Amino acid sequence: MSYLDPPARLGIEARQGLVQLAARNVAGKTRIADLGQQTPLRLLFPRVAEGEPLTACIVNTAGGLVGGDRVAARVHVCAGARVLAIGQAAEKVYRSLGPACRIDNELAVESGGWLEYLPQETILFEDARLERRTQVELATGARAMIGEMLVFGRIARGERMTRGRVRDAIEIRREGRLVWADALHLDGDVHAALDHPAAFGCAHGSAILVAQLPEPERTRDLLRALPAPEGIRFGATAMSGLVLARWLAADTLALRRHFGAAWMLLRRLGGGLAERLPPLWHI
Amino acid sequence: MIPLTEPGLARLLTWLSPGFPVGAYTYSHGLERAIEEGAPRDAAALRVWIEGVLEFGTARADADLLREAWLAVTDEDEPRFERALAWGEAARGGPELALESRQQGASFLATVSAAWPAPALTRWTERAREMTRAPAHAVAVGIAAAVHGVPLEATLLAYLHAFAANLASAAVRLIPLGQTEAQRVLAELSPKLAECARAAAARDFAEFGSAAPMIDLLSMAHETQHVRLFRS
Repeated sequence: MSYLDPPARLGIEARQGLVQLAARNVAGKTRIADLGQQTPLRLLFPRVAEGEPLTACIVNTAGGLVGGDRVAARVHVCAGARVLAIGQAAEKVYRSLGPACRIDNELAVESGGWLEYLPQETILFEDARLERRTQVELATGARAMIGEMLVFGRIARGERMTRGRVRDAIEIRREGRLVWADALHLDGDVHAALDHPAAFGCAHGSAILVAQLPEPERTRDLLRALPAPEGIRFGATAMSGLVLARWLAADTLALRRHFGAAWMLLRRLGGGLAERLPPLWHI
Repeated sequence: MIPLTEPGLARLLTWLSPGFPVGAYTYSHGLERAIEEGAPRDAAALRVWIEGVLEFGTARADADLLREAWLAVTDEDEPRFERALAWGEAARGGPELALESRQQGASFLATVSAAWPAPALTRWTERAREMTRAPAHAVAVGIAAAVHGVPLEATLLAYLHAFAANLASAAVRLIPLGQTEAQRVLAELSPKLAECARAAAARDFAEFGSAAPMIDLLSMAHETQHVRLFRS
């Protein structure tokens, strides 16, 4: 993995990137109905194995986000279409002493549609300022899996985030009505929250998975039975017709592996798909 | 801080007392599971724990919801009211935490409506029902305080104090901890409670949120714990 050092991008003016994808079902196959992209975001469609959903890979050609950047991903899955949207690489949020960078995701799945929204981890540099809002509109009878993973610092380099601001909201609406939401708010002394036993419990990374799948209680039970390695705090529950899972871990690579395992289990249980993830995930 | 008049003080003392029939004593907000796993074990650790819930956890988010409901009712601001109701219901980390908030909210409104009736209270409770939203406990307290003219900051302090006292009371039974030790923890938390109430009164809804995924994880684990005294 290559890192652009934050100072290299300090002089670069803020960007506004967008990817937009609508997919519909045409005679049993998922086809692109609408496609839009604005740099630095791009969408790529890698060739995938037989039976896999239409796989859209979201690429940030700028290699990361600086203060003032605004990027957005909009994915609309029509009835009967199946889409897997995956991040090409970890999203790096660099130091900002000025404005925050904003990520606005809007995902919509119609009844009978299938969406997997699987970004790779967001790596928060020291003094990163991130405002992310992921709004998900699900029809009754839609199936969807939405994930987010946060890494607090360049852990591989032994750096840990101690200051900054992270607002990360996930809002799930069913037929327009807010049914579940999570609003992470970290501001200023991030270190205090990360090290607090009732907050992050000394984790270096966290993850969340929200899914609307058939039989949420049964899915929750099977997910709970997934063995978690030592050092990973993992839990699952079901509420408001959704399956929720959370992770906290000091070892962010182990967290990523377990998150991937849970994802594969759920796509098989809820979507009848193979227990695999795109090769990109494993790079 | 707007001065608290005598009837306002009496209302807060009653509504946020452990004796008020909302069943607060049946909820530990993840603490039962935390203690089962070995922490917190003593008064010092309990104090740190409660500080975390106040600063990073549900108490912070609930304070925002209380303020939003109070301001919405005071200003007759329906969209703001609806937003407080929606987020108060939806932003819960698990079914136990949702029950804790929803059930206490319903009991609180039922009791206040019966013992301190007011046309405005009936009207706002009816609006919540029309929106098919179950008011969170914090939202219910915000509505009642606004309707009965109890100042916002004092209401926030009373709510946060009740939240902290309920955790301390659960700890007395769970750790176990001496009654006096638990009271000492609450005494030590006084400045923190005042600071949190002051901050919440002035905060904007754009800052709504929490940073305590551990509580959600503990509550998830609590769902399958074999021996349980508490509902959360």
